[in-house]
This record gives sequence, C-alpha cells and structure tokens, in this order.
Amino acid sequence: MQFRLEKRAEPSRFMLYATPVGAVILTMIVGAIIFSLIGYDGIGAVREVFLTPLTNAYKWQDLGIKAAPLIIIGTGLSIAYRANVWNIGAEGQYVVGALAGTWVALATYTMSGPWILPLMILAGVVGGALYAAIPALLKTRLNVNEILTSLMLTYASIQLIYYLIRAQWKDPMGIGFPQTRRFAESAQLPTVIPHTIVHLGVPIAIVVALVAWFIMSRSVFGYRMRVVGAAPHAARYGGFSENKTIWLAMLVSGGLAGLAGVLEVAGPFQRMVPGFATGYGFTAIIVAFLGRLNPLGVIFAGIVLAITFVGGEVAQTTIKLPDAATGIFQAMVLFFLLAGDLLVRYRIRRVVTTPAGAA
Amino acid sequence: MTLSRRDILKIGGAAAALPLLGGTAFAQEKLKVGFIYVGTINDNGYNYGHNQGRIFLQDALGDAVETTYVENVPEGPDCERVLRELAQQGNKLIFATSFGFGDAVIKVAAEFPDVAFEHATGYMKADNVGLYNARFYEGRAVCGTIAGHLSKTGKAAYIGSFPIPEVVMGINALALSGRRINPAFTVKPVYISTWNDPAKEGDAARALIDQGVDIIAQHTDGPAALQVAQERGIVGGFGQGADMSAFAPEAQLTAIIDHWGPHYVNSAKAVIAGTWTAGDTWEGLKEEVVQMGAYNKKIPADVVADAEKIRTGQIDGSFKIFTGPIKDNTGAERVAAGVAMTDAELLSMDWYVEGVEQPV
Repeated sequence: MQFRLEKRAEPSRFMLYATPVGAVILTMIVGAIIFSLIGYDGIGAVREVFLTPLTNAYKWQDLGIKAAPLIIIGTGLSIAYRANVWNIGAEGQYVVGALAGTWVALATYTMSGPWILPLMILAGVVGGALYAAIPALLKTRLNVNEILTSLMLTYASIQLIYYLIRAQWKDPMGIGFPQTRRFAESAQLPTVIPHTIVHLGVPIAIVVALVAWFIMSRSVFGYRMRVVGAAPHAARYGGFSENKTIWLAMLVSGGLAGLAGVLEVAGPFQRMVPGFATGYGFTAIIVAFLGRLNPLGVIFAGIVLAITFVGGEVAQTTIKLPDAATGIFQAMVLFFLLAGDLLVRYRIRRVVTTPAGAA
Repeated sequence: MTLSRRDILKIGGAAAALPLLGGTAFAQEKLKVGFIYVGTINDNGYNYGHNQGRIFLQDALGDAVETTYVENVPEGPDCERVLRELAQQGNKLIFATSFGFGDAVIKVAAEFPDVAFEHATGYMKADNVGLYNARFYEGRAVCGTIAGHLSKTGKAAYIGSFPIPEVVMGINALALSGRRINPAFTVKPVYISTWNDPAKEGDAARALIDQGVDIIAQHTDGPAALQVAQERGIVGGFGQGADMSAFAPEAQLTAIIDHWGPHYVNSAKAVIAGTWTAGDTWEGLKEEVVQMGAYNKKIPADVVADAEKIRTGQIDGSFKIFTGPIKDNTGAERVAAGVAMTDAELLSMDWYVEGVEQPV
C-alpha cells in the first residue's frame, strides 16, 4: 500500500486564507509541547513570544520598527514571486540600498536642508534596483538561475560594507572601529510619534503595501505579473514578454528592498556599521509567503514575524528561553504553512498496488 | 459625582503613566542585574567568560540579586531594544559586554537615569554609564614569550575582529614579547569583521597555516581557530576568554582567561549600598581579572619558566611590555628607550609595532 499526492481541481479559497492563521496556531501548540518536553515552561514560552508583545503597550513601538522593513521588502518579494521570479537576494539589495543612502548622507555631511533625506531615499531605491538588475540581466541574457545569483550577491554586498567602512568611510572619531560617522541631523529619519522610537519608515511601509495592493489588483502591470506567474503559456500567447516581466519583477523587488535598507540606516542605525545586515531580507521571504503573496497579507505577516522577534527577547529575559527559540518558532511557522499549502492544493490518495505477477 | 474635562484628563494621564510603574514597583527587595552578550553563552570563549562572571555574581550574593541575560544580541538597534527591555523589567544594573553596544548604551541610559549601566571595553561614558575592561594584553605578553620560543617558522598569525585599539594592543603585545626571544619573529593580523563566526575563524586559520604560520592567536570569541590548529598539527595557539583545552588539548599552549566575576560582585554591592558611581576600571593579571590557563605539557620547562617570569613581572609591576624603545612597522621610533606608554596612549593605539605585517 502506498500514498500518492493528487492535484485538487480547485483549491478551496477559504482554506487558502485559513492556512496562514492555522500555521501560526499550530506553531503555538507544537511549540508549547516541544518546549515543555525539553524542560522549559512551554505555555509560558508561547505566551511571552506571541502575546506579551501585543499586550504590553511598550512593545508596540518595537513591533512597528521591526515590522516596517519586513513589510517593505515582503511587498516587493510578493510581487516578484507572483510572477514566478525567485529573488532570494533581497538582503543584498537591502544592503546596497542602504550603502547608496549612506553615500549621499556622507557626501552631504556638512550641508543641511530638507532635500537631503528624499535624495538619500531615492539613492536607496535606485541602488537596490541596480543590484537586482544584475541577476535580471544574467537571467534574461544567459538564462542563469536567479535564485543562485541573487543569493550569492548577498554575500558580496556584505563584503562591500566591510570594504567601504574600513577605509574611505571610516568614522574619524571612532578610535579605529570600522563604522561611518553618525549621520548629520538632516540625514536622520524623523520620528513620527513624539517620545517613541517610531520613525517615518513605519507609515511609509504601510503606504507602500497599500499602493502595491492597489496596483497588483487594479492595473495592467499587476494583471501581467499575476498572469505570467499563474499561466506562462497564456501570458506568452497574450503578448506579455517573459523577459520584460523578469526585469520588472527584479527591479521592483530590488528597489523596495533598497528602500527598506535606506530607511533602516537613516532611522534606527543612523550610521553604517559592520553588523548592518541582520537578515531582514531573508525573513521577508517568510513574510511574503505567510502573507499569501498579497501586499495586504504582507502587512499582517510582517507584524506576526516582528512579534516573534520582540517576543523572543522578552522570553529570554522573563523565562530564560534560549535565543535559538525565536528561530525555531519562525521556522515552524514556515514549515506548517508550506505543509498546509501542499494539502490545500493536493489531496492524499491511498493507492492499492496490484500484487506482482497478477497481470 | 460629575467629571469635568480636567478630571478626565487627569485620570487619563494617570492611566498612561501606569505601565511606567509596572516594571519597578515590586523590585525593591532584590537587585535585578541584566547582562547582554553579543554571542552565545556556549561559545566557550568571551561570552562564556562573561556568563561565568554572572554565575559567580549569583553564587556570591545569592538571594540579594537576581540575574538575567540575553544572548546573541546584534550590535545595532536590536541591542537598544534589548537594553530598554531589561531596564523596563526592573534591572537596576545592566552590563553591556561588547564594544559595539556603545551607541545604544548611551542612548538608553539617558532614558533611564536611575539605572546603572556598565559597558565592557568601550570608550563612551555618561553619568550612569561606567566602563570596565581587562588588560588582556598582559596575557598576550605571556603568550608571545611562549610563541617566540616555540615557533619554528618564526611566523605567527593573529585572527582579530576589528582594528580597534584593544585588538591592536594585543597584536602588538604578542609581537613585542615574541621578538624579545626571536628577533625575526613576525605576526600577520587578519580581520574577519565579526566577534563570533566559527566558520570564518576556521577558514582564516586554514588559509594562514597554508601560508607557513605555525602559531595562531585570536581575538575572537570561540575555539574554532584552535580546533584547526589541533587538526593541522601546528605548534599551537592560545585560548581566548576561557580555557579551551577541551577543544584542542595538543594545540592550546596556554589560555587567557577572563575572570569578570569579582568586578560584577563589586558593582552589584555598590548599587545595593547606593554608592555606585560611573567608574572606569582597567584591571589585569594583578587583580586576577586576567588569568593564565595551565601551560601545555609539551612546553619545555625553561620556556615555562620564562613565561612565568613575564607573568609574575607584570603582577609585581617590574615588567611592562609597552616600554621603549618601540619602533612601528615602518621603522619609525614611537616610544623612546626606557619610557612606558601611558594608559591613554594604549587606549588610542592605532599603529603596529615592528614585526607586524600591515593588514590589508
């Protein structure tokens, strides 16, 4: 006896939206059991990781600034993934966008004016898009797999940080520590709510997601991306160029990753440091899928992942949960989501094999 | 009873202030002490050393303190959030144990003027931010003496994190003491831009051994480089932060062990007594904040005796490694004969002594 996966004719729409929620709930249940079994307060772990960040008003600002880059990058990735373009290197585009913004900030260090920040943001978007153009070019010209090239360019981008901050951009006051000087006032992202750390990047993230949602659901561009992803043959028949779609998907997702990068360096960091790349670009992949590749879903998914980060730290201080627990919870969400997706799209059929020789 | 608009505002204001009280209202009886580490407590090196210090504090003061730690905290905005979290949870004494936490410590300390912060190996002080550091370089002088005697190729490598004075000082101490024994002794520094990445540390060690190095010292947090030294069978290396002989029984010649516990006890006692002020301590072998591990059996007795001479000399003050004449690696004299460098000069050291290859 064996089992076989059989494609369902029409996946249930309800289940499509229920799986992300189910994945999070299942993560909580299984997480509680696993951590209880290995000797921690399992229920406490789930409470601290998933609920405390929501119930403690002090944590909301942390959630906002942690979710903002995830939402911006996740929105871009959801657009690219819709078109079956697998940009895995958002982390690298995030870094290059931030470096481009840093370049503007350092070049204008002695100047001031309201034009500096918009120029930095523009540089960030362009920087991220240009960095994503490399895998796009390789893909469309030489048919090189964009998953590999975009991923590998991430590691190159981190070396680029080290290279720049060790010499040209080194802080003259930093006693040799490889980091840039703190940005001038005009190059720092303002906070939008007084007496909090909530910076301008948070409302920008929401606006980006809403605009992306509108474009994806209401414009020809959005229609093109969705059709190319869902039915490539039909798209070709309909006159949509595959190469043009790859270019658009890479430039949009790269540009948004670059935007997230420049907002992060101008906001929370206020200078470029060697530890700038903390993995937002990779976590945003989970965010895009958890959000069903829909920009509105990405907002919620970004908040859920931000909760696990902030809650993971709470759990370390309150119930002494190890840091690795955060990663375990995040990985479980993705695992259950992908497993759930499989079952939504396929059904499991038992196959009775006929005994050998019977025919 | 009628409520005026002003009353409502008052109630609203009181309610808004409630969460501010939550963290501290019940924390009077025990002193809560928080620690943040840049790596994991299982690195068997630097962060392990700080965590041993935390355990020492907990054991020494027992019920008078409650300690908490957060590990793997990235140097950046995440660190700021963790510090704020610890302060809000009612920790009145917080130790930030990595250089790159500096910006965040200064920022958060300004928001919590009643919390005492201490930043290890940093340089920025404030009214409620003290500094503490250890004279690791004294241990390096002992290591360098052994390296100078034992190295056959006369070439040592030094795997560092970032070219900050603290690391530069250690490289220079190793080179100076090695060259006292073998004037042809050289040190090649390599910076890997992280405190803790076993894969990078191991790769750097492999590449350096291929270039003919037979001694490896490191100023990163874990035993990865020593493990490679063990595997490749070179003369050896030195444990950093903690005794790493379990990982490299043949290769670890000795170790520089950080013993932060007594400092943590002193600070906690001062906070409890209400006498804590933002200090700036820099202690070494004499105060036993820096200790040497056991000497490897394979080291000949006369070499051990020489190393011991350097160790005890630094304890009684008769030997100071940074005493002139010292030339830099371009040949220019930096310190005149018989002159000892001051602490201020050491803490801003950004040049390499003769015998150190200029890193790229």
